[in-house]
This record gives sequence, C-alpha cells and structure tokens, in this order.
Amino acid sequence: MLGAAKLSIQFQFEYRINFFSDVFLSPVTSAAIEVTLWWSIFKSTGNSSLNGFSPESYLAYALWAAFFARISISWMYDFLMIDEIDSGRVNAILTRPISFYEFYLGQFMGYKFLCTLFSFVVPIGVCSLIHFQVSLLRLPLALALVFYYLILVYTMGFTLAALAFFYNRVHAIPMAKNIVIWVLSGELFPLDLIPDPYKYYLLNLPFASGVYIPVGYLTGRVDSSLVLRGFTSTTVALIFFGTLGHLVWKKGTQQYSGTGA
Amino acid sequence: MTFVIQTENLTRKFQTYLKPEGLKQSLVGLFRRNYEYKIALAPLNLTIESGQIIGLVGANGAGKTTLLKLLSGLITPTGGQARVLDFIPWERKNEFLKKISILLGQKNQLWWDIPAADSFDLLTTIYDLDHTQTKKWTHELAEILNCTHLLHVQLRRLSLGERMKMEIIGSLLHHPQLLFLDEPTIGLDIVAQNTIRTFLTHYVSTYRPTIILTSHYMDDIAKLAQRLLLMSQGQIVYDGSLSGFIDQAEQKQKIFVKFVSPLKDNITLDHETFLSQGDEFVELEVDHSRVGPILEKLFKSVQIQNLKLEEVDFEEVMRQFLEKDARSRKTFHPISI
Repeated sequence: MLGAAKLSIQFQFEYRINFFSDVFLSPVTSAAIEVTLWWSIFKSTGNSSLNGFSPESYLAYALWAAFFARISISWMYDFLMIDEIDSGRVNAILTRPISFYEFYLGQFMGYKFLCTLFSFVVPIGVCSLIHFQVSLLRLPLALALVFYYLILVYTMGFTLAALAFFYNRVHAIPMAKNIVIWVLSGELFPLDLIPDPYKYYLLNLPFASGVYIPVGYLTGRVDSSLVLRGFTSTTVALIFFGTLGHLVWKKGTQQYSGTGA
Repeated sequence: MTFVIQTENLTRKFQTYLKPEGLKQSLVGLFRRNYEYKIALAPLNLTIESGQIIGLVGANGAGKTTLLKLLSGLITPTGGQARVLDFIPWERKNEFLKKISILLGQKNQLWWDIPAADSFDLLTTIYDLDHTQTKKWTHELAEILNCTHLLHVQLRRLSLGERMKMEIIGSLLHHPQLLFLDEPTIGLDIVAQNTIRTFLTHYVSTYRPTIILTSHYMDDIAKLAQRLLLMSQGQIVYDGSLSGFIDQAEQKQKIFVKFVSPLKDNITLDHETFLSQGDEFVELEVDHSRVGPILEKLFKSVQIQNLKLEEVDFEEVMRQFLEKDARSRKTFHPISI
C-alpha cells in the first residue's frame, strides 16, 4: 500500500499546475466565499453572536471547514475508480498480486497526506496572523479523525465504483452521494445550527466526522467526547460499507467481461 | 509430463444489449431492453504442457482473448473448470498471480503518467521482489531490447513500439512461469515487430517459460510457436503442429510460366484455374498433386524461358482458413480443414 501511496505522490508532482491549483486555489476560493458569507451575515444582522458563538468563531470555522472539506472528499478517486473499471484498465490490477481496494486506498491516502501537508500551511498561517479561537494543539486528534473517516469515504466510493461492473457510466451515483455528504458533513454550515432532534441524528451519523467534529473540536465548539463518538460512528459505518463493498466487488468481478482487451 | 493448464468444458457466455436505432428506441430503452447472449467460448477441453509455446490463432471474435482472460483469472467462466499451475485462476490468489503474467497489446499495463522505471519500482514492491536484483534484471532486459535510454521518460511520451518494449519488461520482472501474450506486436512497424520476436525467441530459449501467444501476424506464430491452437466460434478446430496444419489444409500451388516467344494458339488445360494469361506468359493455380503432370504438359507444348513455383506458406494457408471461417459465420458449427 505504501508503494501505491508513493505512486500517487509522484503522479501529483508530475503535474505541478494541477497540483498547486488543487491544493491551494480550490480551498482558498472556497474559504474566501464562506468567510465572506458569514461576515456579511453578522454585518447585516448586527448580531454579536449566533447560537452562542461569536463572529470570530464562525469565521474561524469557515476558514478551517474549507480546508478540512477539501481533505475529506473523495470525488476524484470515485470517478477514477469508475473509469478504471469502465475502460478495462482495472485488468492491470486484477492480474497482479494486489487488491484493487488496497491499491487505490494507498493512492488515495498518499494524495490526501500530500494535500494536508501543503494546504494546511494556509489556515495555520492565517491563524498565526489573525487571532482566531483555534487550539492548534488539538489539530493532531482532529486530523486523526479525518484520516480515519477518509477510509470510510473511500470505501463508500469503492462500493459505488464496483457498480461499474454491472452498468456503464455510473458517475452520477457518487455525485449524488457527494452532495449528500457535503450537507451532512457540516462544510456548508456548522451542524449545531440545526435544531434538535435533527442535530442529534446528524451528529451520530459518521459524516459529521469529515468536517463538523474536527473543525468544531479545533475551534472549541465541541469537546473530545464528540470526537470519540465520531470514531465510533465511523467504525460502525466502515464495517457496514466494508461488507457491502466486498460483496458488490465479488459479484461484479464474477460477471466482468474484461472490457477492451 | 507436467501440465500447466488443464480445462474441462470451460465455457463463457456474454450478455449484449441490443439497441435498435433512433431516438424513439432510446426512449423505449429507458424502460425495456433486449439482451442477446453470445457464446464466446464453447465447452473447451485443453491441456498444455510445461515449457511449450502455444500459438493461439483465429479471426476476430473467435474466442482467443476470452480464453486468455479466463486462464489468467481476469474473468470468471459461466461453466466448466480450469486449473492453471494447480490454481483455479479466477480465484486470483496472490501465489498464482506471482507466477503468471499477461501482456495485452491493446491495453497499457504500466502507469501512463510516470516513467517506466517508476512503474517497475512499484511492481517490484507489488511482487515482493528484491529491489537491487530487479533493478539489475530491468537493465539487462532493457539492454537486450535497446531501450535503456527510455526508462526515465514518462510512458505517455513514448511511441507505441517503445511502450510495448516497456510493457514486455514489466511483464517479465518477476520471472513468470506462464506468460500470456495477447497480440504483443499489434500496430508495430516491421523493425519493432522483428525486435520483439527476436527478443522473445532469446528469452524463451534461455528461461523456458510456458507461453500462450495470440497474434494476427502469422510471422509471430510461425517464428515462435511450437504448437498451434486454431480457434473458430469459441471452439478449437485445430490442435497440432504448424507443419501439420499446412499439410492438412487444402493446398494449391501457383505456377508462373514465361514463354520464349508469343503463343500462336491458346494452351488448353483441363480443370485448372487460370489466374492470368497473356501472349508471353500464363499464371495458374493448381492442386498440389497436379503440379507434375501440368509441368510435363507445358514443357511438351511450349518453349519456356522462365518458370516460377510459389510455395504455399503458413500465412497463405491461414488466410484461406480465416476467409473460409468468415464465410461460415452465419452457421454456428465448427468448421473442418
């Protein structure tokens, strides 16, 4: 798996413009939009707090959420895996002593590690210039949760990609999944703004571990007990999707026709 | 005698979606679709001994690649059994995959975005090989294929022939016992084809792997294969030596005769095919057994300046077979030669 991680890092470095755009341009643009949005809300309403949190807290959340969201999404690899199966390039993996799941998980994690290493320079730099309520000491645990959650996101993508053995061009399915995750993860707004009992359900879904819980923990909105809950819900979902993915993949490879070779 | 491949009634069917033309039919297809089942491989019984080079030949759609994919474990059969190197191939156990290699001439097996050297490095890890020894082996293979200078060039920037050389190196890194080569010379120019044939001849004589080779270039088969498997409509219709195949085939021979001076009268020959005829020459196609009597008759009737007999070669016999095969496609029966 380390070899696959190394491959994805080498691949990213081959295409420098794409890499820098992906690592900096995309999350910075997203952060700029969200920070502007929250700043406008507070400015226009004249409120000094919302749901018990200050404007600075929301700005800090918006800034970090954009970067965590960039890390916790998987659409590039969802589509890549579908294309590999659709085009028959999967043959190169199926006839070698490595599993497809393992190979692309290695690549995916390598890519995400690289993204984190480069892109997090921006929010850390901003926080050292502007006084936000952020505890950087909490960053390692927040990142540990996100990287654990990434295995789940990848496994879901893998399960959906395996549908390509049965149907051609299934890109719209992971796209729908990613839109759902986008809302449920807390990238768009902090999940604590949602009234009970919906908030309770959302926080117990694994998707909150992608953005809301780690960013909330980093910015002081939530404590470590919710981080632990994030690990638990992610584990349960991982067992479910892991089993489902294994079954779909097994059935899919049984009826695979070895496209294009 | 050790068998590396044994199959028993190995079968594979494919499902194909049939879509009539037009927008209306596309709309209908949203709710109801018609499927057709095609037998890509009819029940097949086959044994292959260790160390053999098998030439697998047939027209497009004859079932060659399907057989290769089944034996390499890439796809699962719809019926029957197979044991390859004592493994069930489609279980895809790592121990099995470490002993085989498949090279698909129409598909990249290496990674497009990085240089071949980086792909080989990754393969070394995947196959759990010794890095120093594999690097040495890579350079040895690259030397023979004359492509050492290309090892650090991104794969996408290489020509088709150069890429194929890299693919060959990639497929041999782990010294496979069984090698599936599916059209390794496809799309290559004559020089590149020849380089690859020479390389494979050298590799086979040195390391004695078992090779199943498919190709549409009969030179590949004629120069490399010891045993010929001829496929048609999912079945093996010939299994034997190349020379045996030529002997069994319906043979014709071409005779070209140039006369000393223009003929005054036409030559009369019974039951022979005149390919072309002029005042000073005649070109005939005759049965093999009739060559002697016809030459005798020609020598008696005219003064000959030049005489040319064209030997029937493997490519020509194969061409005739494939043409005959294509004509019989409408009926689904194995054809005999």
